[in-house]
Amino acid sequence: MLLQLKNIQKRFGGVVALRNGSLDVNAGEVHLLMGENGAGKSTLMKIVAGMLERDGGEMLWQGQGVHLHNPVEAASHGIAMVHQESLLAPHLTVAENIFLGREPRLPLGWVNRGEVIQRAARLIEDHHFPLKAEWRVEKLSPAGKQMVEICRAIQQGSSLLIFDEPTSSLSESETQEVFHIVRGLRDRNVGVIYITHRLEELRAIGDRVTVLRDGETVHSGSMSEVTTDQIIRHMVGRELTSIYSREPVQPGEEVLQVEHLTREPVLKDISFCLRAGEITGMAGLIGAGRTELCRAIFGLDPIDRGTIRIAGKPVHIRSPRDAVAQGLALIPEDRQRTGLATALPISYNLTLASLGSVSRFGILDHTAERKIAAEYTARLRIRAESSKQRAGRLSGGNQQKVAIAKWLVRGARIFLFDEPTRGIDVGAKVEVFQVMDELARGGAAILMVSSEMTELLQVADRILVMRQGRISGELPGRTTPEQIMRCAAFEVSAATTEEHPE
Amino acid sequence: MIQRLLPFLTLIALFIILAIASPNFLTYTNLSSVARQTAVINIMALGMTMIIISGGIDLSVGSILALSGLLGTMTMEKHGIALGMVVGIVTGTACGFANGTLTTSLRINPFIVTLGTMGIFRGMALIISKGLPVHEIPPAFSYLGEGTLLHVPFVLWILLLCAVVIHVLLEHTRLGRYAFSIGSNPEAAYYAGVPVRFHTTAVYAIAGLLTGLAGMTEASRLMTGQPTGGQGYELTAIAAVVIGGGSLRGGEGSVLGTLVGAFIMGLLANGSDLLGTNPYWQQVIIGGVIILAVSFDELRKRRMSS
Repeated sequence: MLLQLKNIQKRFGGVVALRNGSLDVNAGEVHLLMGENGAGKSTLMKIVAGMLERDGGEMLWQGQGVHLHNPVEAASHGIAMVHQESLLAPHLTVAENIFLGREPRLPLGWVNRGEVIQRAARLIEDHHFPLKAEWRVEKLSPAGKQMVEICRAIQQGSSLLIFDEPTSSLSESETQEVFHIVRGLRDRNVGVIYITHRLEELRAIGDRVTVLRDGETVHSGSMSEVTTDQIIRHMVGRELTSIYSREPVQPGEEVLQVEHLTREPVLKDISFCLRAGEITGMAGLIGAGRTELCRAIFGLDPIDRGTIRIAGKPVHIRSPRDAVAQGLALIPEDRQRTGLATALPISYNLTLASLGSVSRFGILDHTAERKIAAEYTARLRIRAESSKQRAGRLSGGNQQKVAIAKWLVRGARIFLFDEPTRGIDVGAKVEVFQVMDELARGGAAILMVSSEMTELLQVADRILVMRQGRISGELPGRTTPEQIMRCAAFEVSAATTEEHPE
Repeated sequence: MIQRLLPFLTLIALFIILAIASPNFLTYTNLSSVARQTAVINIMALGMTMIIISGGIDLSVGSILALSGLLGTMTMEKHGIALGMVVGIVTGTACGFANGTLTTSLRINPFIVTLGTMGIFRGMALIISKGLPVHEIPPAFSYLGEGTLLHVPFVLWILLLCAVVIHVLLEHTRLGRYAFSIGSNPEAAYYAGVPVRFHTTAVYAIAGLLTGLAGMTEASRLMTGQPTGGQGYELTAIAAVVIGGGSLRGGEGSVLGTLVGAFIMGLLANGSDLLGTNPYWQQVIIGGVIILAVSFDELRKRRMSS
């Protein structure tokens, strides 16, 4: 037994984050850690990695009781964490990052650069990572950055690696790459704790699973003895018939038409339309140009060629301001950076795009604002102490609801959702889908970009697939993951697309 | 909550300590002189509050103060007090507008832009005046800085008016709300369709206007237009905002906090004068207070977010 956690407790001020966190990990196994946001997964892992100190309970490392005070102590025991958001120094090279803080030295404290590069190169080669030791980290993809973090952990001689949602920002093929790495680690007898929200990953990677709910371990056991539905039930503590299913809708008129939109080199001759009342899914690998397409339509990036029509009329959108004036809304994939002012109250965020309607001659009407805040927090079931609470203190799901509600307040009619469920838990996902469904039924046109195929299949009425900056296929909503993968990853012959004419 | 009130409590404690320690402190003459000295910095600091809330900074306000005071008093020599006031305030506004426009259109960090304009505005003041102060000022002009209304220094009324206006601007208008959201997250504000450039420029222009007014007040107090005046005022103004809870990361700050911050520094300076502290030590003490105040504030925020 590598690691045993017994009855770990942790509180922040008056808030109990963990009341009974228990978990054990063997060498050479991949142990999944599941739970909704706020269940205490990250807190528990930070305690293991020495980033937080526990208030109570026991931690046994290779049979010995330990109490870690900081990450350096954890590293000296062989415990390392691969973070969700990369903690690398972007301007340094891959090799420099791998050895950061523990560089091989020459006399007088000079860094032995030759050895740094050599040893890093050997490490990269050993694991068959598609990296070069001399590359600067800022140029790497998210998957590349994770590989650097993994190299760093291995270099430190870690025998337990913690992955915190490693695939949440990765494409399908990059995800496969991470799985490959994780399996490789397991085969070298390293223990792996793997936090994920993606249900389809469970079977692909996990040997055993532990589920946390409200700071308590509610299930722990082998993957072969539990069904995915049971895991979901443990996580949410209530019954959920499949995750979500949506009644199909009869689509209305074409609200947004995009014709021959081109932005070299990321978007090439893109034409499609969004219809009122319809949720149009958009699949594709990371880098296929889906986010870039949303940005171009929303006026964030200039376009080289092409026309955008709204309700039949050509429009010129040169900034988000123009887009908002045309009834467009973008819910960006990076909530914290572009979707919310996290330090400001929920109510400020809700009215940010519609201050014109809660003010007269530039003077704010606080009463009207409070009413709107109350109405929309109730309508979207945003769980907060009050609408004065800072948006950044909400859970991921509730943050996303605020980001969406901002556009409902504005009365937008065309919604571009870019990865709307990234980093939010199962319960909140369903709520986000319900909001999208309500919007569609109210006559809004919705584009939903998602890397999770199961989600697209459950929610979308039809699915567009992008590949290398082009739309490579259009599929009905009841298609199969295989069909989507084929369009996303391979050349599609004319015959395949003709099966599903527009 | 107690920590949020800390600047307030510090001010009150300082007041009480000085009242006990020095018999000259609680006198009308002394208090009104503290008020007059602090008012100039305070009016500037109100503008700085808006800038810092919107995530910016303005290092050029000391130079703007000198330039507007100079141009205002020069005008006054020939065309009277009213027109002189207008010219001074318009000069400040124009300088602020220039700062805002440069920051938003060149997309350069405001620290760099205003570091540049700090030199430019100061240089302009020296060129125009050939380095010589203006002395020929209508005597009635001294009322602005030295007069009293209802037994209260006239500048305090002006400060009060400015404080109320800026408070209302920040808390009750669209401009203020946009300033907070731009400061908190400029990207998110832009994505939400907020006219970021317009409002950023407006904030700098308003701060310039206040600095112009402060420049005229300073000129009236000293009854001279000094091309070399106001040096180092920018840092005192920034310090007042920061002691009052403003964050250089943007999105945080308040008029009340800034007033308290400016008065804390004013009392510290006055107190050391009264108690005969070496003026060199004054600088050390004030510097220490700034660091102390901000570290308490950081501690509070960190505790809140964990």
